[in-house]
Amino acid sequence: MITLQSYLTLAALLFAIGAMGIIINKKNIIIVMMSIELMLLAVNFNFIAFSYFSNDLTGQIFVFFMLAIAAAEAAIGLAILVTLYRNKNTISVREFKQLKE
Amino acid sequence: MTSLELIFYIFSSILLLSSLGVVLFKNPVYSALSLISCFITSAFLWLLLEAEFLALVLVLVYVGAVMVLFLFVIMMLNIELEVETSQFNKIAPLGLIVGLIIVGELMTLIWLRSDQFLVTSSAVSSFDKEVSNSVLLGTKLFTDYIYAFEISGFILLLAIIVSISLTLRRRKGLKRQIVSKQVDIDPATRVKLVDMESEVNK
Repeated sequence: MITLQSYLTLAALLFAIGAMGIIINKKNIIIVMMSIELMLLAVNFNFIAFSYFSNDLTGQIFVFFMLAIAAAEAAIGLAILVTLYRNKNTISVREFKQLKE
Repeated sequence: MTSLELIFYIFSSILLLSSLGVVLFKNPVYSALSLISCFITSAFLWLLLEAEFLALVLVLVYVGAVMVLFLFVIMMLNIELEVETSQFNKIAPLGLIVGLIIVGELMTLIWLRSDQFLVTSSAVSSFDKEVSNSVLLGTKLFTDYIYAFEISGFILLLAIIVSISLTLRRRKGLKRQIVSKQVDIDPATRVKLVDMESEVNK
């Protein structure tokens, strides 16, 4: 029997792997953005699992909107990344510190 | 073990392995490909949860559009792969600790407090079997959530404008058409009639 707990556990593991990816990838900001996508996927998993087990479609509506917003976020993030690469010629997270100085 | 459970366990192990691949691969192209594998296996798992429309949208929007955009940017930036790994090893234990803390907290919540959930954890779904999932979703989306739908459309328009205006670049010395100057031309200054003898009967 696949219970709600199995889906929530899967989503929790996915979320933790995404959070780990943000911390350990300092070289490459593209992989950091992909880890964010992974965490969003885990959250969507939770929404859909709860929607299925409580017989309420509202969770799926929320996932629909989150997919739209995440697509917009990825497009804007990649555009910022392209602009940064043109100006600094690197995509390492450690080089982006001009706001600190 | 029923066949549904078998499918669930096979696909969730593929999902977790490929998500580890996203995080651990050095080459961003491999990371992007394992993220695509993540999305496709998640779409299969969402089909198990009777979210058919969203499963197809995930494949179409994420694999078809967002991941192609990621791959496009990776190829366009032409990043040289760095081989030094010392920094990676210094930070890796910290990442592992944070990951374990998150997993520990969520497991406590999910398994020890599950008696306080307001939903039954093993219910067989009773979504309306007569109409398809997309009809149900659409009915709800275009009645109760129509304002949110319009706003998300506006946000997508905003994303288009922002990403174009961020990446648009005017190179110096580029020869561009200036329409106002073209319209402003006086023909008298451009065409000059010259008198000369005929060349034929010379």
